[in-house]
Amino acid sequence: MKRSIQIGVLYSRSGTYSLISDACRQGVFRAVADVNANAASPIELVPVERDPQGNIDRYAPLCEEMIREHGVRHVIGCITSWSRKEVIPVLEKSGATLWYACPYEGFEANEHVVYMHACPNQHLVPLLAYVIPRFGANGLLLGSNYIWGWETNRVARDLIADAGGSVLAERYLPIGETDVSRLIAEIKATRPDFILNNLIGTSSYAFIAAYAELGRHDPHFRLDRCPLLSCNLTECELPAIGNTAKGNLCAGPYFASPTGNGRTPAKADLPQPASSFEAAAYASVRVLAKVLAGNADATFADLPSVFAKATFQTPFGDTVIDPQTQHATLPVVIGQIGNDCFETVSRTDSVAPDPYLSRYDRAEIFGRPRLKVVS
Amino acid sequence: MTRASRIPNLGGAKAYILHRPHTTVNALARQLGAIGLDVRECWPELPPDALAADFVFFDVDLGFDEQFPWKPGEAPMPLVALIGSEAPGRIEWALSQKADAQLLKPIGTAGVYSALLIARQSFDARRRLADQIAALETRLAERQTIVRAVAALAAQGVDDGRAYAQLRSLAMSWQVSVEQAARRIVAMSEEGDDHSNIA
Repeated sequence: MKRSIQIGVLYSRSGTYSLISDACRQGVFRAVADVNANAASPIELVPVERDPQGNIDRYAPLCEEMIREHGVRHVIGCITSWSRKEVIPVLEKSGATLWYACPYEGFEANEHVVYMHACPNQHLVPLLAYVIPRFGANGLLLGSNYIWGWETNRVARDLIADAGGSVLAERYLPIGETDVSRLIAEIKATRPDFILNNLIGTSSYAFIAAYAELGRHDPHFRLDRCPLLSCNLTECELPAIGNTAKGNLCAGPYFASPTGNGRTPAKADLPQPASSFEAAAYASVRVLAKVLAGNADATFADLPSVFAKATFQTPFGDTVIDPQTQHATLPVVIGQIGNDCFETVSRTDSVAPDPYLSRYDRAEIFGRPRLKVVS
Repeated sequence: MTRASRIPNLGGAKAYILHRPHTTVNALARQLGAIGLDVRECWPELPPDALAADFVFFDVDLGFDEQFPWKPGEAPMPLVALIGSEAPGRIEWALSQKADAQLLKPIGTAGVYSALLIARQSFDARRRLADQIAALETRLAERQTIVRAVAALAAQGVDDGRAYAQLRSLAMSWQVSVEQAARRIVAMSEEGDDHSNIA
C-alpha cells in the first residue's frame, strides 16, 4: 500500500510570465506521473494546486492556504523572485519548503527553499566571461523593474568593470510594459558591444522584436555583432518571440538541443524536457520524491542530511545539492537561439553553486587587468 | 576609482560567534557558512586568534566585558550583537561595546547577510572618522608650533603675513604638511639663531 503525500503547486496560469509557469507545471505533473507510475515507489504524490493569476499579493495567502487546509509540507512553485520572497515568511512560520525551479539573482540561502535552477555563478558570470572577450566589454543593461533585474544588473556592473568595460546605460521597465521605443533610441545612441536583457515576459518579447528590427537597419546591431544576452530565456518562450530571437545568447543549465550537441545523455527512465524550466521543475519533484521515499514525513529540517549523502538522477544528469546552501550543482550551458531551438556554444559540467559569489575571482574569469597606456 | 557597488567579498572571512552552545549558534553558523565565511564558535571567552577575525558576533544576554581581549568599544573588527532579552541594561552594555549591527534571537536565515554588510560598512565608516579626528587633533596640537615658526621667520624682518606665506611655501617645497614644516623651522631656530639656511 503506497502512502499518499500531498504536495503544493503554486504557479500563475495567467499573467505576463505564464509561458514559464506552463513549462514548470508541465515538469511538475510529468514528474508526479512518473513517480506514481513506479510500482516500486513507497509513495504516491497528490498535487494540490493554487493559481495566483500573476497577482503578487496572492502568493503568500494561497501558499498558507495549501499548508493549512491540506497539511502540505512541500510546495513547488513561484517564478519571480518577488513572489519567492513573498512566500518565504509563510514557509518559515509553518516549517514548509519551497522547491524553486527558476534561475534567480543569488544572495539568498534560505533553509526553507531548495534552489533547483541556476544562481549567478551558474548563469551571469559564465555568460559574460564568454561574451566579453568575443564582443567587447561595454554593455547596456536592461531589466524589468523588480529584484531580478536590479540585482542581476548590479552584479553585471561589477563584472563589466572588472573586465575593464563601461556600463553605457541601465534601464528598467515596469513588468508588462511593451513600449520599448526609448530603449531602442538609447541603444542606437550609445552603441554598446552587447545588451544584457533582464526584461521578463511581454516586455522582453517586445524588446527582442524591436531590436531585431533595429538590426535590419543598422548592421552594428545585428546579433552576431552586438548580441542580446539573457540568463532566463529558454525554449518555452520562443513561441511568443518567433524568429526575431534568432542569435540571442542565453545561459542556462540545460537546453533541449535536437542536434544532440552538448545535450545531457538521456537516462532510460528520464524524459528530455522541452526547456530548463520544465527540467528544473521535473527535477524538483523527482528529488523530493526520493527524499519522501526515504522518509515520508521529511520536513525542511531533514533535507540537509539527505542532501549531504545523496545523488539524484535528473534531466540535468547526476545532480547533487549543496546541503549548506540548498542550491543544486548544475551544468552551465551557453546556447544561441537557432532556427527553432538553441545551439550549444559552450558547456561546462558540474558547476557548484556559489550564491553569494564568495568564491568569485576576477582574474580567473577575465584574466589579469591589462595596463592602460598613459600618455 | 571608487564605484557604488562591489560584489561583497566575504568568501573565507573569519567569523567568531561568542555564545554558549545553543540552537541560535547552529542557525547562525549555518547561514554564515552558506554565505562563505569560515566560522568559529567559542564560549565563554574569545581565544587569542580572534584578534585576527573579520567579524565577531557576541551574546548580549550573558555577555560581559572580560570576554573580550580589548577594552569596551575598542574592538579591532566589526561586532554584531546577538540580542535576546531587550532589557535596557543589556542594550546599554551592548552599546558600550559599540556593536556595528545587531540580530534579534531567535536567529533564522533572515538578517544575517545584511548584518554582515551593515556591520562592515559602519565599522569602516567609524574607523575612517576616528582616523580623521586623530589627524585633526594632531594638527590642532601643533597650533603653538606654527605660531613659533611664524615668529621665527618674522624675526628675519618680514611681517606675519609674509612669514606665514613663507612657511606654506617651504612646506610645499619640502613636500610635508605645514605642521611638519613648522616643527623643522622651530628646531632649526632653536639650534642657533642663524636663520639664513632656511630660505
